[in-house]
Amino acid sequence: MSEMWINMGPQHPMTHGLWNLRVRIDGELVVDADPEMGYLHRGIEKISEDRHYNEVVTLMDRTCYVAGLNWEHLYILASEQALHITPPERAEYIRMMCAEFQRIGSHVMWYAAFVADIGLLSPMLYGFRDRDLVLDLFQSFTGARMTYEYMRVGGVRNDLPPGFTDQARKVLDWLMDRFRDYDQLCLGSAIFHKRCDNLGVLKANDCIALGVTGPPLRSAGLKRDLRKDRPYSRYKEVDFDVAVADGADVTGRYLVRLEEMRQSVRILRQVLDWLDHHPGPVMADHLPRWLGAPYAPVGREGYVLKRNYPKGVGFSSIEEPHGEAQAYVVNEGSERPYRVKFRSPVFANLSASRNFLVGYRVADIPPIMGSIDPCIGEVDR
Amino acid sequence: MSQATLYSVSFDISSAIAGALGSVLPSGARAVVTSSGVETGFAVLIFGVNILAATMLNTILLIWWERKLLGRFMDRRGAMHVGFAGLLQNFADGFKLFRKDTVKPRDADGLGFYFGPTAYMITSLVIFGVLPISSGWDTGALPLTLLLALAIFSFAPLFIFVSAWSSNNKYSLMGGMRSAAQMIAYEVQLLLAVVAVVIVAGSFDLNTIVYEQQNYWFWGPLVVALIVFVAAMLAEMERIPFDLPEAEAELVEGWNTEYGGMFFAFFMFTDYLRALVGSVLVVLLFLGGWTLPTWVPSAATSFPLAGIFWFMVKTYIVFGLFVWVRASLPRVRTDQLLRVGWNRMIPLGLLSVFLAAVVVTAKCLPVFGCLPSVGT
Repeated sequence: MSEMWINMGPQHPMTHGLWNLRVRIDGELVVDADPEMGYLHRGIEKISEDRHYNEVVTLMDRTCYVAGLNWEHLYILASEQALHITPPERAEYIRMMCAEFQRIGSHVMWYAAFVADIGLLSPMLYGFRDRDLVLDLFQSFTGARMTYEYMRVGGVRNDLPPGFTDQARKVLDWLMDRFRDYDQLCLGSAIFHKRCDNLGVLKANDCIALGVTGPPLRSAGLKRDLRKDRPYSRYKEVDFDVAVADGADVTGRYLVRLEEMRQSVRILRQVLDWLDHHPGPVMADHLPRWLGAPYAPVGREGYVLKRNYPKGVGFSSIEEPHGEAQAYVVNEGSERPYRVKFRSPVFANLSASRNFLVGYRVADIPPIMGSIDPCIGEVDR
Repeated sequence: MSQATLYSVSFDISSAIAGALGSVLPSGARAVVTSSGVETGFAVLIFGVNILAATMLNTILLIWWERKLLGRFMDRRGAMHVGFAGLLQNFADGFKLFRKDTVKPRDADGLGFYFGPTAYMITSLVIFGVLPISSGWDTGALPLTLLLALAIFSFAPLFIFVSAWSSNNKYSLMGGMRSAAQMIAYEVQLLLAVVAVVIVAGSFDLNTIVYEQQNYWFWGPLVVALIVFVAAMLAEMERIPFDLPEAEAELVEGWNTEYGGMFFAFFMFTDYLRALVGSVLVVLLFLGGWTLPTWVPSAATSFPLAGIFWFMVKTYIVFGLFVWVRASLPRVRTDQLLRVGWNRMIPLGLLSVFLAAVVVTAKCLPVFGCLPSVGT
């Protein structure tokens, strides 16, 4: 066979979403790769300029559909900075709890998708089964399983229901046992090591040059985690380690994600204990009135300056399950953000496809791209 | 009561139908209908239809068995809603595919596109014409049934490649290439394992092979051959550790990407047909066919059609093991598969042939006992 381009996507089982990976192959060998994103572009940043601050939270759930609460967290942190609002302590802890549970949910979902890529069928179903428990927890305090719309500028929408922390601890115990099963099913299999060791290697230098963050970066041995390096919310006050692995390969990313889930459980146990002993308000006092329910239909009123409210810009960067996400919010004194801009970690990671893929085989493409954990909603926004 | 065989049952049905027809027809036509030539021809037809119906029913039951087992391995229940415990789900799926259109891509080659799946299914169905399922339940005195079955079994890569190439799709072509490479590579090991059995049994006739296992089943002394055979069979059946030709993660659906409707059903059906052949061959060659060990109380083997019953039980257990493997192993890569095939499996196959020679020279083994041809 001579060299040829094949389109893996936009409708292809490997893509985990809606994007197109064009690969040039020579027989089974990958010689070149060219990612094409943009099939899922919804103009979220532009739409945000036409919404009240709290209405944008709805859009954040639609950026990454497996890590909605992390994105809400990211946006809310930036908006609060722009609006000069400080949330109460308890709200910050609830947000941390949401973020860590969401990280577990996202990583378990990644596990399910990744093992399916290498042909392991039953762990895929185990992953979905265990993620359901996390979703049940979310449902109990947000009312939704996927699009939560839970966080608000100045706090969170409502407090946790009674008995929530005990239920959450039970789920954590169950999950810790399941992580052991996951390891046995993957690391205990010789075929898994044959498939994933020394695959998709991207060394730390290349990762930094290409802006690759998150588990791919930490799998290269670099201890970079924004929760440690630039703590937001109350991450300074909890105890945890940054998961790293050496090898910079697919197995390394697997190890990093599994260890991150264990560290999340560790964080969550501390956060749940704190929540048990510190009841209090979950919304800030003295919020401007227009931060409540919108009082005019969107588009009718246009861009109205609240001249009496101080202007400001907000920037936040969090360690999202997929990598480092950043948000920039400009407040011109209106009840709507003047400009909202996001940095998606997966966009940078996917842009490095060529560096990940060239030199490996066609059969290696799904595990390598799967190990990046593409979430196309946040790439295209 | 004389033992029922496939032939006798077919002849009984044939003559019963001919007699019933003859009693209502005028005498001229009656003479034609009840003549022995017509009755024999009719009996052969019934014979074929019997095998075909049994094969198809068993294949569909096998798909159900896989779905249920796989469901349990995955902590779910499998098909539940159509029929009792989802038994009729596959019929529903089949009818759905039957009603759908097969869309031929514009640039696909019509002849190969339709001929490939059809020939793939027909050749696989033919194999069941030569596989015995119990004593007397076979096509009769063909001396080389095993060789014939394996010969027909190895047609498949050709038809897969024809349909893959004529689909005019890059994924299909890659899947077809992989399939051809894999099946040809593993043919050698498969035959080496079979040769080990044939050396011990001294015959290519499956009836004789089963007869030779009356004192001990061959899987004990020939365990190396069994391992080689099962691994090669997994590769030939394209099931999960070796299902690269249709690795859905990278090749969408492999060589049958472009197929829909009934021709897709042909492919899926034939995959399970070949899985059934594989399980049946394991039972016949290594697990004593329809016989049971001598220490089993005779009540277990004396009821009508006991041979067929135990044969099916064994077949479904063997297939259950294949499903277990599918539920718990990841997929290997093409180059790894071929390397394992040539570097590991062929030496193992040769070792199994050597062990077979030892077994046959010793005639009587310490734990297992003697071959029946030795006498006791």
